[in-house]
Amino acid sequence: MPALAPAEIKALIKLIDELDYYQILEVSRDAPASAIKSGYYAVSRRYHPDANRALRGEVRRNLEHVAKRVTEAYSVLRDARRRLAYDGQLTKDRQAVRIQLAEADSQAEKKALEDHLGTTPNGRRFFSLARADIDRNHLDSAIRNLQMALTYEPSNQFFKQKLRDLKGHPSG
Amino acid sequence: MAEIAIGIDLGTSNSCVSIARGGTVEVLANAYGEHITASVVAFDEEGCVTVGNAAKANVIHDPVNTVSSAKRLIGRYFFSEEVKKAQAVYSYGIVEGPDHSLRIQIRDEQLSLPEISAIVLREMKTIAEEQLGQEVHKAVITVPAYFNDNQRQATKDAGRIAGLEVLRLLNEPTAAALAYGFGRGLSQRVAVYDLGGGTFDISVLEIGKDIFEVLSTCGDTYLGGDDFDDRLIDLIADEFVAGEGINLRNDPFALEKLKVAVETAKKGLSIEDQVEIRIPDIVTGPDGQPRSIERSIGRPEYFALVTDLVQRTFKVCDEALQQANVIAQDLGGVILVGGSTRLPVIRDAVRDYFQQEPKADVDPDEVVAMGAAIHAASLSSTDQQDSFLLDVTPLSLRIGVAGGLAETVIERNTPVPIEQTRTFTTYQDFQETVKIRVFQGESRQAEENEMLGQFEFSGFKKARRGEVRIDVTFEINSDGIVNVTACDQETGQQASTQITLSSGLSEEEISQIIDDGRTERVRTSDATAADSPAPVAASSPAPPAEEELSEDLELLPDQEDLLEEAPDLEIDEEDYSSPLAAEAEEEDADPNAATQPELEPLAVDSAPEIAAEVELETDDLRATAAENLQEIQPPVGDSGIQIDDMDGSPDDELEVQTGAESLFDTPGADLSQPDDESEL
Repeated sequence: MPALAPAEIKALIKLIDELDYYQILEVSRDAPASAIKSGYYAVSRRYHPDANRALRGEVRRNLEHVAKRVTEAYSVLRDARRRLAYDGQLTKDRQAVRIQLAEADSQAEKKALEDHLGTTPNGRRFFSLARADIDRNHLDSAIRNLQMALTYEPSNQFFKQKLRDLKGHPSG
Repeated sequence: MAEIAIGIDLGTSNSCVSIARGGTVEVLANAYGEHITASVVAFDEEGCVTVGNAAKANVIHDPVNTVSSAKRLIGRYFFSEEVKKAQAVYSYGIVEGPDHSLRIQIRDEQLSLPEISAIVLREMKTIAEEQLGQEVHKAVITVPAYFNDNQRQATKDAGRIAGLEVLRLLNEPTAAALAYGFGRGLSQRVAVYDLGGGTFDISVLEIGKDIFEVLSTCGDTYLGGDDFDDRLIDLIADEFVAGEGINLRNDPFALEKLKVAVETAKKGLSIEDQVEIRIPDIVTGPDGQPRSIERSIGRPEYFALVTDLVQRTFKVCDEALQQANVIAQDLGGVILVGGSTRLPVIRDAVRDYFQQEPKADVDPDEVVAMGAAIHAASLSSTDQQDSFLLDVTPLSLRIGVAGGLAETVIERNTPVPIEQTRTFTTYQDFQETVKIRVFQGESRQAEENEMLGQFEFSGFKKARRGEVRIDVTFEINSDGIVNVTACDQETGQQASTQITLSSGLSEEEISQIIDDGRTERVRTSDATAADSPAPVAASSPAPPAEEELSEDLELLPDQEDLLEEAPDLEIDEEDYSSPLAAEAEEEDADPNAATQPELEPLAVDSAPEIAAEVELETDDLRATAAENLQEIQPPVGDSGIQIDDMDGSPDDELEVQTGAESLFDTPGADLSQPDDESEL
C-alpha cells in the first residue's frame, strides 16, 4: 500500500468534518454489518497512524485526527442501536454528521424504552395482550397479538425481537 | 539496516525477551541458557542488585531485601487494596512516598516501583544485547490488558529509566494473538485466556490476513497465580497454627520457605496427581526444637481450594464474549497464556467453558514476548507495514459528576484512537471555576474507579447557572496516551492536561534517576559496587507534574468561600437545537436542584466501603478528590432518555420524561433492561 502524501491528508482534514460516517467508511447507507467491518479495515489500512509511521509533526497530528473520526464512525455504525440513532439524526439534519457515542447510546436507550412500552395506544394494547399470552404459555396467540402490535408500530425493534424469539421457540 | 527493536514481556513472576527478524521470532536466553528470567530483584549490602533466578533463590536467605512481584504494585496509590494485600504477603518494606505514592524500603534507601521494574527491564535489555552482540535502544513492552493509565505510565517510565525507547505498550493477550497468528495466514476469531502471576485478562480478537482487530478485552487485576499459591499457603499456615501454635506468617524466613514449597507443589500438581510438601526445620519452636512440615496434597484437594478462583475467570470471559458480540462456538481458537494455565485444573475448566481444546502449540511463557517482538519489528521497520493492529481501550474513561458519581465519556472496548466530547454547564450562578476529575473504571461510583488526574478550569465568562457551555474532550491517541481538554464554547478559552499519575514519577525525578544511574548497578564486577550511588533520601525533588497540580491547589483557598456554597457544575447534554429540549432544560433546572440532596445519601451509603481509603486521604490532593468541592452534574436525562427528538405524542413525552426523572433519582437502577426480556 502506498503511504499517504501530506497533501492528501491536508485535503482530507478539510473534508472530514463534513463527511458522514458512511462516507468516511466508504460504504452505502444500507451496508450490512460485514461491509461496515471491511470498510473500516480498508480505510484503516490507509489512515491508521501505524500504517503511516514515517509521517511526523503536524501531518501526523492531522492523521491522528482522521483516524479518530474513522474509529468513531466504526463505533457507531457497527452497533445496530447506535446506527439507528445516527440514521435518525441524519434523516432529520443532513449536516449533523457527527454523533457522540454517549449521545447515540442514550438515544438508543430512549428508543428501547419507548419500544418496550409501545409508542401507540393500539401497539401497547396488543403488546400487553401478547405478554399475558406468554405468561400463560399461549404462544400461538402471543404471536398473533405481537403481529397485530407490529401492524401499528412496524418499526418497533423490541416487538420484532420478541416475535423472532417466539418464532424461534417450538410452539407449546 | 533498521535499528533493532526487542519485545519484552515484563511479567509479575517472570520476564522474557524476544526478537523478530528475517521472518522468524526468537526468544533470547539469559546467561544461564534460560528463556525466562524471574522478575525478582535482590539488593546486597553494598546496594548492588542481582536479578533473576539467582535473586529468587536469595528470597529465602534475605526476604526483606529481595523484591518480587513488583508488577502488582506499579502505578498504584499507597492506600489501594492491592498494597495492603502485598504488605501482608511480602517481607520487603512497602512504604508511603510523596503524594500517596509507593516506595520500596531497602535498608536505608527508598526506591520507586518504576525503578524496580527498570532494573528487571535493564536485565532483559542486557540479555538481548549479549545475545545479539549489539546495543538495543528500542522495545515494545507488554502490560496486562486491564492495566489502567496510571499503571501504563509507570511501566513506560520504567522503560525509559532502563534506557529504552518504549515504542508501544502492548496488551499481553494481544501480543499472544499476534504471535499465534504470525505468518499463518489465518482468518478467524480467537480468545486469549491469560492467567499470569498477578492478573487475569481475556481478549477476543479477529485475525485477518493483514489486520488484527481486538474485539473486546476484559480482566481482573486482582486475580492470578499468586492467589492460587496464597490459598495453599493459608491452608498450611492455618494447619500449622492449629497443630503447633506457631503462626508462620509472623516469620519472614518461614513464610518465604513456605511460599517456595507451595509454588513447587503447584507446579508438581501439573504433572503428578499427588505431591509431597516437605519443609524441614521451617521454624524453631518455643522449646528450642526445630519444627518441620510434611504434608501431601492431591489434585482433588487442590482443585477444591481454588475452584472459586477459576470460576471467577469465567465470569470475566462471559463479559468479554458478550462485549465482542460472539459466542464460544464462533471462536476458531483458544490460546492460553501465563504460567498458571499449565495447571490441569485451568486447562480442564477452559476446555469445558469454550467447548474446544486450547491450542497446544503455543508456549504460555514465551508467546507474549514473541508477540511483543513481532510488534516491535513492525513498528520500527522502515518498510511499509505488512500487518497492523486495531486495538481498543480496555477501561472506560469517566468524568466526576455530582453525588460522587462518574459519567462515562469513552466506554471500554471502544476502538482507539478516539476522541469524544461532552458538554457541561455551570451549576451555580456566577461560578468561576470547575474541577475536572478524570477516572478510569467501570463503576458509576467515582470512588470505585481509579483517579487518573484532575484539573481546574476557569476563565470562562461569569454568568448565571446553565449559561456557560464547557466542552470537555477526552482523547486516546494511538499510543494509548490519554488527553483531556476543557474548552469554553463562547470564549474559546482552553485548558488541557495530559493525564499524569499523581503518585507517579515526574519528568524531573525520572531524569534524576537516569542521571544517577540508580538502576545500573547489576552485580557483575567489583567495580560497580565501588561506585554504587549513595542512597537517595525519600524527600526527592518535587515533581513538576505535582507542581502543576499544586498550582491548581493553591487556587483552592481563595475559592473556599465559593466552595462552601456547594457550587456544583451541571452537565448539560448538548442541545441539538430542538426548542423542546431548551424548554425541557428550563423545566428541569429545579427538579435537578432538588435531586441534589437526594444524591447525597448515596455518597454516604457508599462511605463504609471506602472508609479505609478516606482515612488515608489526609492531604489536600485527595481531600479535594473526596469532597465534592466543585462538581459536575450528570446531564439532563442522563439515564439515556431525552425528550428532544421525540416524535411521539405529548402524552408519550410526559410519560418518558417522568421515567427519566425517576431513573435519575436512583442511579444504578437506570440502564437496566426491563426484566421481561428474560421471561421469554
